[in-house]
Formats: sequence, structure tokens, C-alpha cells
Amino acid sequence: MTTTVDRPVAELLPDDGGSPARRAVIRWAWRLLVREWRQQLLILALVVVAVGATIVASAVAANSPAPSHFGFGTAQDLAIFQGASPQEAKEITSLNAHDGPIQVVENETVRIPGSVNTFQLRAQDPHGRFTAPMLSLVSGRYPANPDEVAMTKTVAAELHLSLGDVWDHEGTTRRLAGIVENPQSLLDEFALVVPGQVTAPDVVTVFFDAHSPRPLPANVQTAAAASKSSAFNAETISLAGLTMGMILIALVAVGGFTVLAQRRLRSLGMLASLGATDENVSLVVRANGAFVGVVGAVLGAVLGIGLWLAYRPRLEQSSHHLIAPFALSWPVVAAAMVLAIAATYLAARRPARAITRVPVMDALSGRPPTPGGVHRSAIPGIICLGLAFVILGYSGAAGGNGSGGGEGLVAGLILLVAGLILVSPFFLAVMARLAGRVPIAARLALRDLSRYRARSGAALAAISLGILIAMIVSLVAAARYADVLDYAGPNLMSNQLVIYTPNGSAGTIGPGIALPTTPSAAQLHKMATAADTIGGDIGAHHVIELLSTSATLLHAASGQNFSGPVYVATPQILSAFGIDPSHLQPDADILTMRPGLSTLTKMQIVYGNYPLYGPHPRASANFVCPTHDCLANPVIEEVSGLPSGTSAPNTVITEHAVHQLGLRTVVAGWLIQTNKTITAAQISAAQVTAASADMSIETKNSQPTSAQIIDYGTIFGTLLALAILAMSVGLIRSEAASDLRVLTASGASSTTRRTLTATTTGVLAFVGAILGTGTAYLALIGYLRANTLNGGLAALGSVPVWNLVGVLVIMPLAAALGGWVLGGRQPAVISRQPIE
Amino acid sequence: MGTLLELRAVSKSYGAGPSAVQALVDVDLVVEAGSLVAVMGRSGSGKSTLLTIAGSLEEPTSGDVMIAGQWLSQLSRNEKARLRRRSIGYVFQDFNLLPGLTALENVALPLELDGRSAKRAQSVAMAALEGLGLADRARHYPDQLSGGERQRVAIARAVVGERRLLLADEPSGALDSANGKAVMEMIVAACRRGVGAVVVTHDAALASWADRVVVLADGRIVEETNPPRGAEETVIGHHDQP
Repeated sequence: MTTTVDRPVAELLPDDGGSPARRAVIRWAWRLLVREWRQQLLILALVVVAVGATIVASAVAANSPAPSHFGFGTAQDLAIFQGASPQEAKEITSLNAHDGPIQVVENETVRIPGSVNTFQLRAQDPHGRFTAPMLSLVSGRYPANPDEVAMTKTVAAELHLSLGDVWDHEGTTRRLAGIVENPQSLLDEFALVVPGQVTAPDVVTVFFDAHSPRPLPANVQTAAAASKSSAFNAETISLAGLTMGMILIALVAVGGFTVLAQRRLRSLGMLASLGATDENVSLVVRANGAFVGVVGAVLGAVLGIGLWLAYRPRLEQSSHHLIAPFALSWPVVAAAMVLAIAATYLAARRPARAITRVPVMDALSGRPPTPGGVHRSAIPGIICLGLAFVILGYSGAAGGNGSGGGEGLVAGLILLVAGLILVSPFFLAVMARLAGRVPIAARLALRDLSRYRARSGAALAAISLGILIAMIVSLVAAARYADVLDYAGPNLMSNQLVIYTPNGSAGTIGPGIALPTTPSAAQLHKMATAADTIGGDIGAHHVIELLSTSATLLHAASGQNFSGPVYVATPQILSAFGIDPSHLQPDADILTMRPGLSTLTKMQIVYGNYPLYGPHPRASANFVCPTHDCLANPVIEEVSGLPSGTSAPNTVITEHAVHQLGLRTVVAGWLIQTNKTITAAQISAAQVTAASADMSIETKNSQPTSAQIIDYGTIFGTLLALAILAMSVGLIRSEAASDLRVLTASGASSTTRRTLTATTTGVLAFVGAILGTGTAYLALIGYLRANTLNGGLAALGSVPVWNLVGVLVIMPLAAALGGWVLGGRQPAVISRQPIE
Repeated sequence: MGTLLELRAVSKSYGAGPSAVQALVDVDLVVEAGSLVAVMGRSGSGKSTLLTIAGSLEEPTSGDVMIAGQWLSQLSRNEKARLRRRSIGYVFQDFNLLPGLTALENVALPLELDGRSAKRAQSVAMAALEGLGLADRARHYPDQLSGGERQRVAIARAVVGERRLLLADEPSGALDSANGKAVMEMIVAACRRGVGAVVVTHDAALASWADRVVVLADGRIVEETNPPRGAEETVIGHHDQP
């Protein structure tokens, strides 16, 4: 029966089995993964989501802005001339002589009959040397001779033309030969004619590549200067986010692979008993990690690319330029896949190494390895956290004075995460020391957490990291939205609409900027009529006139300008929002609903020609205005009745102040309020009506409220922590499975088992929440303490109390409750289990 | 027939101090090629410990073990692993086939771990399975095999290649009497071709198949006997292997 192999062959074989042995164990690892993929579903899902989300996020971030070389085609330089003139012709000739060949494109603005909309009549060679990326044919063909034209779809529709129709423009007739578009800007509406057909161009653009370095005229732009990007571009940010995510996944995966290795302990022992080397036994676990990474990376890439392809058309619409189907950030895709594989492989290395240290007979008996000693000292972690605090402080100070600080921010965050990971096991040891007086089951659970903290420490670090990310999002959002000077949030309510007069939107009015010319009575009447019409169409109960002045607010202490409009508190506004003027302070200069604005000291009203946007004069030590056009320490009264939208009159200057400062007022627009949400059809109709009076409208945007952002952050962190907990508890309780079997065999009731699991989950969640929240505050205090631009430490004054309660109290309680509900099951096998 | 296995003054204790347990005390044992040694004794007598030390799966506290001419005390972990691959075959009571590998792959695994190509290893493994009448079950996974079939696969894995020492711990413990008898017949047949075997068993009837029976008590060999040879003759009559 025994089959023999020639001795000389055996003697030639490698001592460690070489590549055939490695192939054999890798094949087995793959088979095990296929058989037991459900046990690795969480890690797999995390990797898939991380890779997929990174691919989509990086693609969206990279493709949302205008393409690089936007407006340049393939040229490196372009010269812009306003209108045609002999001087222009001379300069173009000169450019051709120095830097030829060149390509000239002429544009003439043409108004669509009966509309305020315009388009460009463009003379351009469709096959020009430099402009190919700026022109594509949708249907038909390009114009080939002077009596042909091609148009964008919108222009053709506005002119009611179809292919083959004749367009008569100022006595010249041209047949519509094709539909075209500018792939780099879908908002670019034009009619294309052959070169030389635009007789009175408004703008002439010359595309060329400058041959020699020389001073170029002021009207010349270079592509390199236009596309100069920050080091913190979309790809860098995507990769930084991915790296953070992969660290989290790796921490979770360490636990997952440890559980897996222990489940396979007897099989691995059997492998060793057959003569597998330590390297081969370890390779089974490492190969499993790599396989999970590869499968996750491939599935994640497929998911990410699929989602991108589905989302791309919507992004094209919102970003107004064509995006190639596979215009992905391929370096990020590759990096995401490599990082996913590296993270899972590295996560599997530790359990792989640990499993080779288990004596073969212990492995064959299914006895888990004795808990390894863990570095108990918290000092390295504390040092990392301290360094993170210092470096974040420098970064915050640099960011506050506008000199960057991005590198310090990254370094500080890396140290922060490292510190959190290193310090986590220490807190489990602390919990074990506190366990002396609690009931036996809880005591056992706490001591198990400490005994097995090689695993539970990693789990706690992962939970803390999840909470850290969530709390940083929440606290930053709270701080950002609490900035009374730079107020953030939705612009309007869904039942509000603002109609702006030409140049009447808030951003174009302020000190140093001339107020728009007061419209004539006829113009004003026309605009007011249009506003009333819109109001009537949507059933408004208020059409409120908005008056602007040149006044705004300045915080002299920080030099920070007030963001948003400061309309005049007319009786109509006060009445519309139910504010009784008799209840207001008679000397109030500013009324606001922004909480905290009235308590800010060293405020000033600046107006007229105050140099708000330039290097303005610093206030003197006692914050008296240093120049004219400035009122120090105005009386600011908080009035909760005012609307909260950033484009609504949430902060208004009183008529008292207007008169006192001698400010001129102009009509900036009308705020229309209804009882119901304004529909898309009503908005569309309002746009048409407003355009007929040369006005524009603003409706509610999609900016989330601070509460929404904070809630999303909290929910994300809580769910992440609970998911990590679900996995970690399985890990830790499986390590203590023999204890549980002994307890069960000794007659322990399900209550004991429930208490064990509930204590494990609850304590991990609670300590993780404390650590994550504490570290988040440490990071933000470090960053903000010297950052006056972002409000300094005062920015943390807005505490999201209920969200903190949710993370610190409700989440641990939910975790404990989940552990209690799910932890009562008796072990399936009290004695050891055979392999097969 | 040379000496395949020699245990010289082997002792093994677990734990330390007052709680220490002596599993083996000064055990000397020699197994020649082609001989079958049965080890008997009550639970806790040290039978399994003797087998695991003999197979290099555990270190003795004192004494030394020689397998196929090599003293284990002089070998590194990897050298011991190589020795297990090339010279020692194990058969466990609960089979211990690897899940995820077919019967053929399970049998071929020790050869592949030794560096032989998968194709050649599986060719040799198939020959071993054919010898045990399992050719038609070669592509089945362990959980698709009966208990008897699994143990036969385990025996095929233990003797495949050029291994000369077979160590079996209660190989028929999880089988009914007919399958148990068949397993013993295979082990005896292997011994007839020069394999040395040590079988731990509680069953005196199965032990009677051995050339020599060693009885352990409290970690010491307290008795050695040579049972009658009738059973072996019967086995040889049943198995007409080449």
C-alpha cells in the first residue's frame, strides 16, 4: 500500500518545501475563504465600501472643477483683445511672428430676440490647431462655408431652428448644418461660423504657444499659471481620507483575522503536524488577509466605477462640462486597491505570527494561545498625543495667519491616531483594576478585557478612532456654524424666495464699493411689478422690499469681516416677522438673530469708503475707529423673530443708524414668503418673470443645517463603533470561550452569560466613546488655541450637548443592551470540536 | 530491519512546583521497521503523550528521541517539520482531515509541503487512495465521506510517500467494529511492507494484532507482552496488496 518516491528526488527537495509548499497552503487558504466567506463579511464589506467610496469621491472631486487648461484648448498661452482695432491686428501679427502658428477665435455677443439671454456668434476653425478640446459635434456637421452655421442645442431651440433650417441674422442667411457644444463648458452657448464671418467681434482670443521666455503683454494668460494647484488637491485629500479609513479597517481586521485564526486553530495544528513549517502555517493566515484585500479591492473598484458611471451624467449637469466615462483618478484607484490589500495583509500578519507560536498539540486540541503580554505603559501614547497637541497648535497658528499649516495638520492627525492606538490598552488595564467590587460576571468580563487586551486593545482603538472621526466632524461643524461673523447654514427656507435687482445681490454691496445707481422710477416700478407678479403667482402673503446700504459689520479684534447681507430694518420687515418696534431698544443700531453677535465686543459698523477688502487699518488699542466711515461699539440687539437664512435679513441695520450715519439706501430686491413650499414649477416661472425685468432669483439651496451635519456625524460614528463592537465582542468572547464553557458546565445561567457579554460591549463602547471624544477635544483645543481666524478656543463654546449624550451615554447603553440580548446563547459545544 | 524509533529515558511533566503532573517517567522504547507496537493503559497513563513526543509534536522534559536515525534534540523546528513530512505519519481518532481540501488533496498535502509539484504529489496520492479502494472518492471533500472513509483517507495520508513511521492515536476510536477492524488491517499491512507503527488503543482485541504490547501506568512502562500472531495472519489473508 505504501507508495515510495525515489530517495534522490527527496534529497533534492528544498528544506522548507519551496514554492510547491507555498502554493499548496495558498490554495488551501483560498478554499477556506470561499467556504467561510461569511465570517469575513464585515471586513470585506468595510474594504469594499472604503475602496468604492474613495474611487467615487476622488472622481467627483477631480471632475467637478473646470478641466485643467479650461479655456486654453491645447494652447499654453492665450491673448485676449476687447474688440477689433488696428492695434489689435498689429499685436496679433506680432504674436504670429514671434510665437506662430497661432489660432484666432472671434466672438460677438448676440441677443436672442425677445429674451434677455444672449449667445456668442463665434468664428472658429472647427479643426483648428489649438481649440479641438473646446468643440465637439453633437449631430450634423461643422459649417464648411460662409452660408452655414452650427449651434448649441439651446441656441438652436431658442431660435426655433432645426438642422437644415435657415437662420437670418442681421441680413445674413445661414443654413444650420450641425449641433455643437463646448465639452469644457456646457454653459457656453454659441453659434459657430467659419473664420472671418464675425464682422464686429466683442472679444478676440488668440491661442498660441509662447516660444521664448520674454515679458508677455498684460492681456496674455498662460495655462500653467491658470492651473496652478495647491498641494492639497482632490487626490491628496482622497488619499489622506483613504489612509485614515484603511488604518481603521486594519484595526478591525486584526481582530477579525485573530478570530478566524483561532477558529482554524485545529486545522492549522494539523497542518503543522503534517510537517508544515512555521512560515507555511503563517502563510495560510497571511494569504487569507491578502485574498480578502484583493477580493475587497476588486469588488470595491467595480462598485466604485459602477457608481461613478451612474452618477457621471448628473455631475456633468451640475458642473456644466462633459466628463469622459473613465475620467477617474486612476492613481487614486490604484492606490486605493493597493492600500486595501496592504491593510488586510498587514492586519493578518499579527495573528499569523501569533498562531505559529502555539504549540502543535495545543493547536490540535483547539486550545487558544495564552494571552500575550502587551506593552502596559501608556507613556508612548501620551507622548504621541502631546506631540500631536503641540504640532496641531503650530498648524492652527499658521492657518490662522494665512501661512498654510497643512503639513502640520496632517502630521498632527497622524500622531493623534498613533497616540490613540498606543494608549488604548492602558485604559483596559485601568478598567480591570476597577473590577474588584463588581459582581462576578461583570468582574470576569472586565478582567478578560484586560487579559486579552492584545485583541481588545486593538478593538478599543478602532472604536475610539470611529468616535474620534465622528466627534471631530460634529465639533468642527458646531464651531463653524457657531461663528456669528461667518454664519453658515441654509440660505433660505423652502417657502422663501429672494428677487434681486440687477447688481442687487448681497455680495456686491459694501464699504468701498459704489452703491448701484438708483433705478429710475420707471425701472423700479417695472421691477416691483415683476416682484408682485411673482408673489401673486406663488400665493405669497408677504412681498418684502429689501433695502441695502454700504454698511456692514467688522470685528475689530480679529479683523474678521461679517458675512452676509445687512439690509435695512424697515417697518415692513419688522412687521412681516412679527417684531414690535416698541419692544426694541430705541438706540439699537443693529438687530440680529445670530446668537452671540450682541455679546461680541470690539465690533464696528463700517460703511462708505472704509477699505474693507484691502489691507484695512488696524484698530487702535481701545478699538476706536481709526478712520472715517466707521462706528465703534454699535448697539447690537438680538431679536429672535428675524429669519435665520444666510441670504435672508437675519441681521439688519436700524433706520435710526441709517439716519445717524447718513447712509443712502437702494432697493436690493424683494423677499417673498408663502405659507407652503415653493414648487419647482413656481421657481421656473419666477425665473422667467424675473428675467423679463433683468432681475434674478434665489431659492433654498441644499446646504445642510448645522444640526443635520452634527447628527450625521454622530450617527456615522455611533454606527461605526457599534459595528466594530459587534465584531470585537465576538473576538474577545471567543478567546474566553473556554471560560464560558466552564461557566456553563458549572451551571451558570443565561443571565451570567448575558452579563458577561453586556459588560464587555458596554465597557468597550463607553471607554471608546470617552477616548474618542477626549482625543477629538484635545485635537481641536490644540488646533484652535492659537487660531484667531477661526475664533480660537471660543469656537468650542458651542457644545453639541445632545450629540455628546448620544455618544457617551446612549451608544454604550445600546451596546450593552445588544450584548445582553444576544449574549444568552449557550455554547454550541461544551467540549472541543473535531475538525472534520 | 533497523531501528525506526527510539525513546531513551524520556520523561515529561506538565506544570511546575506542587501542581506539576508527571505524564511520562523514564520511558525507554524501541520500534523496529516493520513492527507494530500497541500502547495500552488507562486514561491519564501517558499513552497520548508518548505518541506526541515520539512524533516530535511535543518536547520531552528530559531524555531524547531518535527517529529514522536522527536525534530530535539536535534538530531545529524546521528540521523537525521536515522530519515529520518525510518520515512520520499520524492517524488521529477524529481523522483531522483538512476542510476545504478533497480526499486526494489531503493525501497529497504532505508531499506538496515537502516541495513536490502538485501534479506529481497528486499522482502519488491517487495511487495511495487506489490502494485503499478510495479512488472513486478522491474528489470528495471530507464532509462528503463516511467515518470509515475519512479514516482510510487519514491512513493514506499518513503512509503516502516514503514515510516509515506510523503513529496512530486510537485510530478506530470513532469507528464501528467493522471499520475499526479494517483500519487495523491496513496498519498491519503497512507494517508488512516495512513501516514501523505505534498504535495507542484501549481495545485489547485490537492490540492483539500487534507484535508487541506495551502497557503504561502513571507514565511508566509496567508491562510488555508479545500477543499471539493469529490475528496478523488473518489480516494478511484479507489484504492481498502488492
